[in-house]
Amino acid sequence: MSQAYEQLVHDLSPRKFGRKGKIWIAFLVLIIMIGLYSYIQQLRHGLIITDMRDYALWGIYISNFVFFVAISLVGSLITAILRLSGVKWSTPLTRIAEIIAVAAIIMAGLTIIIDMGRPDRMLNLFIHGRLQSPIIWDVIVITTYLFISILLLYYPLLPDFSILKKHFKANTRLSKWYGKLSLNWSGSGKQHSIYNRSIKVLSVMIIPVAFAIHTVTAWLFETTYRPGWDSTNFGPYFIAGAFVAGAGAVVAVMYVLRKTYQLENYITDDHFDKMGKILVLLCLLYLYFNINEYLIPTYKSTEEEAVHLQSLFTGQYAVLFWSAIIGGLVLPVIVLLFPQGRKPLPLFIVAMAVVLGAWWKRYIIVIPTLSHPFLPIQGVPESWRHYSPTWMEWSITFATLAAALLIITLLVRYLPIVPIQETAEERGLIHTAQTNQQS
Amino acid sequence: MRYRSKPRSLFLVFLLLIASVTVYSQDKKYRARVSLEHVKIMNEQSYIGISAKFKGEDGFEPASDLEFNVYRQVNEDSMVVLGKARSNSEGKAKFVLKETMKQSDSSGIYTYTVAIEDSEKFRDTDKSISFSEANLTVDVVTIDSTYHITAVLTDASGNALQGEFLKVGLKRLYGNLTIGEDNNETDENGSILVPVRDAMPGVEGNLTFEVLLKESDAYGTIKATISAPIGRPIEDESTFDERTMWSPPSKTPLYLLIFPNLMILGVWVPLLLLMFNLYRISKS
Repeated sequence: MSQAYEQLVHDLSPRKFGRKGKIWIAFLVLIIMIGLYSYIQQLRHGLIITDMRDYALWGIYISNFVFFVAISLVGSLITAILRLSGVKWSTPLTRIAEIIAVAAIIMAGLTIIIDMGRPDRMLNLFIHGRLQSPIIWDVIVITTYLFISILLLYYPLLPDFSILKKHFKANTRLSKWYGKLSLNWSGSGKQHSIYNRSIKVLSVMIIPVAFAIHTVTAWLFETTYRPGWDSTNFGPYFIAGAFVAGAGAVVAVMYVLRKTYQLENYITDDHFDKMGKILVLLCLLYLYFNINEYLIPTYKSTEEEAVHLQSLFTGQYAVLFWSAIIGGLVLPVIVLLFPQGRKPLPLFIVAMAVVLGAWWKRYIIVIPTLSHPFLPIQGVPESWRHYSPTWMEWSITFATLAAALLIITLLVRYLPIVPIQETAEERGLIHTAQTNQQS
Repeated sequence: MRYRSKPRSLFLVFLLLIASVTVYSQDKKYRARVSLEHVKIMNEQSYIGISAKFKGEDGFEPASDLEFNVYRQVNEDSMVVLGKARSNSEGKAKFVLKETMKQSDSSGIYTYTVAIEDSEKFRDTDKSISFSEANLTVDVVTIDSTYHITAVLTDASGNALQGEFLKVGLKRLYGNLTIGEDNNETDENGSILVPVRDAMPGVEGNLTFEVLLKESDAYGTIKATISAPIGRPIEDESTFDERTMWSPPSKTPLYLLIFPNLMILGVWVPLLLLMFNLYRISKS
């Protein structure tokens, strides 16, 4: 093997955490422990520890769930769509996207369980679940998407595991594990053939399933007759928003990883520039859907819709709404239109604003609508008409976000951040799969 | 001297005030306003309906959980105790008049007295009610292919009572639906005739009509009911046995069973094959 190849494997192999890494993990574990304490209180006392009542029966747990579902779409965007389009520059980003997708979809599933008042009865969902209910559709599609995401993460790792097995020869235990995970990968023609075909099938399959997961999540809202949710456009609107959130998350994570692991030779400024352009396109698309979603109800201004929209535009939720729209969509578009704005640091800052805006956008999709139903509930205490998450809800929510980051961190610890085999092939350091097949 | 006596005087005045307030509060009893109504439901029972209220701090309030003694007037200065009744949270009570309790004077008038006695909250008071016995019969007849409700009001001797106003209603879930005019005056035969123009819906076509003489000065309230199969049977629109969007899992609509399951199979079969491919890779 050439020295360049050895250097590449060395650069891209997983590394032990340094001091900063350990502090980061301790910080995440601390947040998770605080959230765990609150969740134990919730298990003991029930959902009464939250501020959810008869009006806001969905709170930040559900808005957080929708956020996780949105972030998970990134796996299909970067990996599948760009792979099927024959785009080569995205190779160093595919693993990051797949890791984020797996972490997000795992936490989406867990967040739904957290939202349950009686999680011990979860099995009833499967025993007595009705196919008429969008909730069952969501359960099915989330499970399917999780499975596909794990496969799409695992399949491209097979050659890398084989490389890492050899690379960590000195560490017997680690080498043994990588060997097992590589499933005896030798790079034979037959293995390559099965491997390539399987990845292609997965890339094709994940796109409709990813679209389905976001459409079904939108249907959870759309099928209930409420101001703000009574739209036939919610599916595409959610998908567009998910693409924005997911792309923002990839940019943010790739910036941090590039800086932490000194991957400037692999994740270049050009990657940031291209991701910046994609983000502009996605933000504009989502902006279009936002205008569509708010302009027409404003034009019609039926009584209940008008009350709901007033609370968003000038009322209680105005600061959040305009922050999410302007800070999370309009300003990013303006900044990213300039090449200087697509440099790593400015793009990272913009991506963080986009992700933060995406989180609050889900909050203002869920909560204000529940506060303004078409048919107000009679005889409930005034406090039930307003929702303000309790500190325990916040701590549980932060814990789920920390858990997602912890999953990403741990996967980054043991998996190569940038695909080794593919990068080596693209740089001509080893024979390509096709060459292998022909031989 | 002057300074020393002032606190003592003030203290005495204070004690006096406390004492007077205490005495006043002990003596303060409300005056209950009692109203009585005689109600006779033909072929069932007759009772005295008692309603009591008092003027509290927030206006008129029902006198709830209040005990009433019920007497029958024998003559001008003697009464016979019949029993007790207790008001509910709305200040209403009902004292059923058994046959043995009914006894009129020589002119056929019944007189009963309801009294509040020895109540901790209310002053003693009483109220009397006098009425004559009357009977109401009701029937359904067909005239020119139209159903009619006919009712006859008579006194205890069977004499027709002319000029009384009767109301005809059809019993519905939350009250009576008025049939015909609000008030139908009895003729010289003591009768009324009210047409039932529309075929009203009823369980198995059965309709229950109620004819009411409401709060007559002389006879009180008298009700008579009759059921007849002259309505339109209610069609069972239950979807309980059908496959609907709101039915249990065992009755899921077929299209929702077929298409989603086909889609699930369409995704999961290739996924299982992809799992199998991992096995194939490991064995290659």
